[in-house]
Amino acid sequence: MTPLLEFAKGPLFRLCFVIMLLGLARIIFLDIWAAYKAYKKAGDKKMPWKLTLSRTWEWVFPVKRLIHNFQVYSVLSILFHIGLILVPIFLFAHIQLWKGALGISWPALPYGWAFWLTISTIVFGVSLYIGRLVIKQARMLSRKQDYLWLILLLIPFITGFVCANISISPGSYQFFMTVHVLSGELIFILIPFSKIAHCVLQPLSQLVSTLAWKFPPDTDDDICTTLNKKGAPV
Amino acid sequence: MKTSRITDDERAKALKSSIKPEVIEKQKLNVRYNIEKFDVNDRPRRFLEAFAAILKHSNYRMMLDHYSRIVSRCSLCTTTCHVYQATGNPEDIPCYRSGLLLDVYKRHFTLAGELKGRISGGGYLTDEKIQEMADSFWNCTACRRCALECPMGLDHGLITHLGRYILSEIGIAPRALVVSTREQLEGKTKNTSAIPVPALKDTLEFLEDDMFEEKSVRIKFPLDVEGADYVFFAAVSDYLMEAETLMGIAAVFAATGDKWTIGTGYYDGINYGLFYSDRILERVVKQVDEETKRLKGKNILIGECGHASRSAKQFIPTYCGGEKALPVVSILEYTHKAWKEGRLKLGPDVVTEKVAYHDPCNFARNRWIINQPREVLKAFCKNYVEMTPSGDNNICCGGGGGTVSIDEIRPYRTTVGGKLKADQIRKSGCEILVAPCANCKKQLRELVEDQGINVQVVGLHDLIYKAIIFDDSLIEKKEEQPSGKEEK
Repeated sequence: MTPLLEFAKGPLFRLCFVIMLLGLARIIFLDIWAAYKAYKKAGDKKMPWKLTLSRTWEWVFPVKRLIHNFQVYSVLSILFHIGLILVPIFLFAHIQLWKGALGISWPALPYGWAFWLTISTIVFGVSLYIGRLVIKQARMLSRKQDYLWLILLLIPFITGFVCANISISPGSYQFFMTVHVLSGELIFILIPFSKIAHCVLQPLSQLVSTLAWKFPPDTDDDICTTLNKKGAPV
Repeated sequence: MKTSRITDDERAKALKSSIKPEVIEKQKLNVRYNIEKFDVNDRPRRFLEAFAAILKHSNYRMMLDHYSRIVSRCSLCTTTCHVYQATGNPEDIPCYRSGLLLDVYKRHFTLAGELKGRISGGGYLTDEKIQEMADSFWNCTACRRCALECPMGLDHGLITHLGRYILSEIGIAPRALVVSTREQLEGKTKNTSAIPVPALKDTLEFLEDDMFEEKSVRIKFPLDVEGADYVFFAAVSDYLMEAETLMGIAAVFAATGDKWTIGTGYYDGINYGLFYSDRILERVVKQVDEETKRLKGKNILIGECGHASRSAKQFIPTYCGGEKALPVVSILEYTHKAWKEGRLKLGPDVVTEKVAYHDPCNFARNRWIINQPREVLKAFCKNYVEMTPSGDNNICCGGGGGTVSIDEIRPYRTTVGGKLKADQIRKSGCEILVAPCANCKKQLRELVEDQGINVQVVGLHDLIYKAIIFDDSLIEKKEEQPSGKEEK
């Protein structure tokens, strides 16, 4: 193992993981704190919990989407996300890494599952990338980061697959493994500061959207005063 | 439901502005709706000041922070937006529209955006961006159907709502809405249609006479009755345009015998604040509450109008006492309950035409009122057909979000906004379309007229009025016919 790879798998991994955890904890805290403050300020505190929770459930486990609009796109996206979540957490080799770095472990995915999930994630990820390029409305909406994120997310999958399943020279293996680990760590660091924060914030979206309609009372006067419009006609 | 895109000719017709070029030049803003004279100088600074003031005194920052962190631009909202479906114009994609305001927020109201902007030296709010927002936010009908489709849970309708609110604070709001609201809040008549009390009384007396002629029942519109169970607020335009809806409502009360009243101090349910300003929303809602309390009423009853009902239902608790606020009931709920309890009888042989029901977005999107009117209709309309999609996933009439009141954009509403709805109406094959909403009814009538669809658009209570069966004890025998005329 090269010193760089050793460093990347050891201290750097721990550092990046901690940055990700703290970053995610920060945005979850900020979100929940903002929601709490909004709730406290709201004139009407009666929340439609049932509707909010059912819509949250529908989107955290978007099974209904499989038979909904834009089916191909939705199916690809859902399958892509399944691999994206399961493989990094439940791959046997990763669990060893977690165990080495953090001292904890859990059951691993069977090899066959991991193999096919990795392939499907790569294939579906590439398909989504092509979709962004080809579908007019998706292309129009896409920012640079939307394309870059797909590429960045696929790098550890492709390099990891090569290392685990293809016979290559030790030198090449070291190279692919280094890219694999470093790209994974770059993702860790960027998650809390990018749109990938949706991995923890998306389940709060329906709550935020519902709460956002719960306005504070008596703001008319305050806003008029701030904008110097007191007594001005409509 | 998929639809064909509009043709180039239709697009040209829809987007044609009736605003004179010299006006556009003078106001330095190219939008299709009329605006009152306003300060055109230093617009970006004033926009940001208004934005900051609103953020300071509202809960919007929570939503903007959350949305700007996770917005993913996946384009799934394109599958449900009736405006985009009709135009295919990327600028009509809900997520694109929301991005206009989220970008301003991120650039000017977050630390990261401020730093990024200073480093890159760009991204400032400009007159051009305000122009784009002023155009885009009023192309949306705020139906909020796209919110159901967003995997990230963004409520694009709420962002449109906020965008319009900020714009209105710097004077950019459709004149049609502003002038009506001014009359409602500061005018002599205190209502958006400027109907004075004597005219209201005349209209109601005329309707009472009409109902006696037709039904032989003394059906009343009780005025200023203290202590009534329900104080009634119709969309005030109903008093000018929807006589049958009002007669249906009065007939239901005659049948049930419950106490209701219309207050002459304030009788307008319309609340354009929901469409362009929270400050207006608050003021209007408080007037409704004050009038009900003046009359010592027990419930606030809103007539057949989606936005008026939602404004009251959602915001009376917000602005008028939270849990202690007066209960708000929609006439659809009241009538359904009366029918369910057996206090309202409807003849099954009166309406034989093919009837379909249109869900007003403000009733259905949050699953508030979906099944109740259907149950009532199915009870007496033999030939009821369902339009799909419906319920909380219904398609907007194309005139939502206040756009229906802007007459100068009628070509846009009936060519672009209502395109998907028109296709749906045609597909259903209905002869009568029931739309229990003043806004939807106006838009749908204009839509079927402009699109050449042979459908009669009515309110729910219009049909109830036709089919209602009164208890014999209520029916008065008419005076005998003058001699010389044969009785049948």
